[in-house]
Amino acid sequence: MLELKTLSHRYPNADAPALVDVSLTVPRGCVLGLLGPNGAGKTTLISHLSGALAVQSGEILIDGQPLQQVRAKAPTRIAVAPQEQAFYPMLTVAENLAVFAAAGRLSGPRKKERIEACTQFAQLEQFAGVRAERLSGGLKRRLNLAIALLPEPELMLFDEPTVGVDPQSRAFILDAIRSLAQQGAAVIYASHYMEEIEAIADRVAILDRGHVLREGSLDGLLSKSAMLLTLAADGLDAGMLSRFGTVEQGGAHWRIHLNAGSGPAPVLAALEAAGIEVRHAEFGRHDLEQLFMALTHRSLRD
Amino acid sequence: MLLALIKKELLALVRDMHGLAALFLMPMVFIVLMSLTLKDIYRPPLAELNYAIDMRDMATPAQWLKQLWQRNHGAPQPLGNDWQARLRNGSLKYVIVMEPGLSQELESAALSTRAYIHLLTEPGIDANLFNALRAELIGASGELKARLALAVPGTASPAPEASIEAMVRAERFSTAGPRPTSVQQNVPAWLVFGMFFVVASLSSLFVQERSSGALGRLQGLGVSRSMLLMSKALPYLGVNALQAVLMLAAGIWFMPLIGGDALSLAGIHWGALLLSLAAVSLAAVSLSLALACLVRSHAQAATIGPMVNVLMAAAGGIMVPKFVMPGFMQRLVEISPMNWGLEALLTVLLRGGGVADALPQIGRLAVFAALMFLLAVFLFRRRAS
Repeated sequence: MLELKTLSHRYPNADAPALVDVSLTVPRGCVLGLLGPNGAGKTTLISHLSGALAVQSGEILIDGQPLQQVRAKAPTRIAVAPQEQAFYPMLTVAENLAVFAAAGRLSGPRKKERIEACTQFAQLEQFAGVRAERLSGGLKRRLNLAIALLPEPELMLFDEPTVGVDPQSRAFILDAIRSLAQQGAAVIYASHYMEEIEAIADRVAILDRGHVLREGSLDGLLSKSAMLLTLAADGLDAGMLSRFGTVEQGGAHWRIHLNAGSGPAPVLAALEAAGIEVRHAEFGRHDLEQLFMALTHRSLRD
Repeated sequence: MLLALIKKELLALVRDMHGLAALFLMPMVFIVLMSLTLKDIYRPPLAELNYAIDMRDMATPAQWLKQLWQRNHGAPQPLGNDWQARLRNGSLKYVIVMEPGLSQELESAALSTRAYIHLLTEPGIDANLFNALRAELIGASGELKARLALAVPGTASPAPEASIEAMVRAERFSTAGPRPTSVQQNVPAWLVFGMFFVVASLSSLFVQERSSGALGRLQGLGVSRSMLLMSKALPYLGVNALQAVLMLAAGIWFMPLIGGDALSLAGIHWGALLLSLAAVSLAAVSLSLALACLVRSHAQAATIGPMVNVLMAAAGGIMVPKFVMPGFMQRLVEISPMNWGLEALLTVLLRGGGVADALPQIGRLAVFAALMFLLAVFLFRRRAS
């Protein structure tokens, strides 16, 4: 469905490029989780797909055709639910849906049918006559979602769609997006919430400073990542542990990203030989956040 | 699609109380206030001013001069001992002091070399009134002096209504159209001002749409830039038309109800009026679009639009009529589009002009509108790229 080939972009007067040789594919029925901290390039990538930014270098293809051609012929095949509440606060829910339905060239019974379907999908029926500015944060996000779905797009882009919403609305939005992919749409879901990406994505791309650091299925990424040994003991030092992998010293805990092929046994044996008593030991694969930190040496919330 | 986008603009406007007040209430209030305040600018209340006469010469010629003055100005107030204080605080508008020797001077055939009549006015009197009173006093005393010099004993005295004043008749000339009044001047002035105030409403919603991402979303759905600009221009052209109807109606029917003069459209050239209003509206909406595409934030939209309007109004003869400005300012106001609109409407409403008479101003407005629209398209493209 969507294919990005070595896409690069630099904003005028910017010191560093916003995207560097980004290559990704998103088939139909798949949710691609785009994971990265603020400033990683997620919004720049989405702006390209929404048509707000022109391609400077590289290619964006939809079913093998350049994005620009597809947008010119059928702009509503691709929909973006932006980070902002991109609707009219002074209009009611129904009026907002009517404006954007008309803008998406829907008319007559089809328009009515789509407005009803999207209102129902976002569970906004009882708020149809309420002005958007009077909705709660969660309901505003749902309206944002409903507007994006009006023209029945084949590719949907969600940019941080759950920022500032209550847990109930967040769960609703995630379920709704998941169901869209199950119905055959290709979905890109950009977020810096690792738990959301883990919950919703079939594939994950980790983006940092404009580069795709890893891309693949969630299980695949985690299984390929290094093993992590977390230790708490008196008398530990970096010199002693560094021969087993990359060492990070936390407050009470030391974390060792073990070298490929290594397990925890040699580390524990070495400590025992040195007479160090281990109070706590934990061993396992990275989770997504740990993987991200191991790759970038930064927290996702930076 | 266009209709839905226009409906959106109108709903947004109707739900913005401040915007509605700026577009409809403010020009209406200005029309009422300024028309009543300047009610007498075309008809100074010379005959209604409180005055007193200090008769220091009681001989007959001085008494005749007093009678002559009373004929046009009514009976004077009693002078009283505190007349200087009353003159200073404005309860007496002027005092005429007839000095001893005035009667003798009036009877003399020679022209005067010193003052025998003093006109003392309150400090804050309008310069036009001051000059008119002075000129009338010179005229009255000159007429009396001439009568006395030319009087031939035994001949019949002139008719009571006869005077030098009867020899001169002054009127504001126009080949057609209504009588000039402050309403006739103020309705077009504040109507033009109000029409240009669409700048504030239009740019404010435009900035809101841009910053919320709604504009990007519309463009993402394939709505073209020209469609977006059109969907903004058309409703505000309608708003301008409604403003014009309401302001003209207020002048015709509401002003007389509250004691002002009525706006008269009798004998005006309707085609010229409609064309002038359309040109003002196009200029106002195009300027609004250009400013809306130029500003970057709500704060800029909320200040730049009204500021440009007030400056154009101050420099355009809206707040201060052009005819009271000094020469160089009168030339300066001609650079303000509001002045072109005002002059076009005054040509039609006050001077009885037709399309050909208003065409220079209409042409300027049309060129201005075209330039501003092109600027808006350019800025919109640049912002989107």
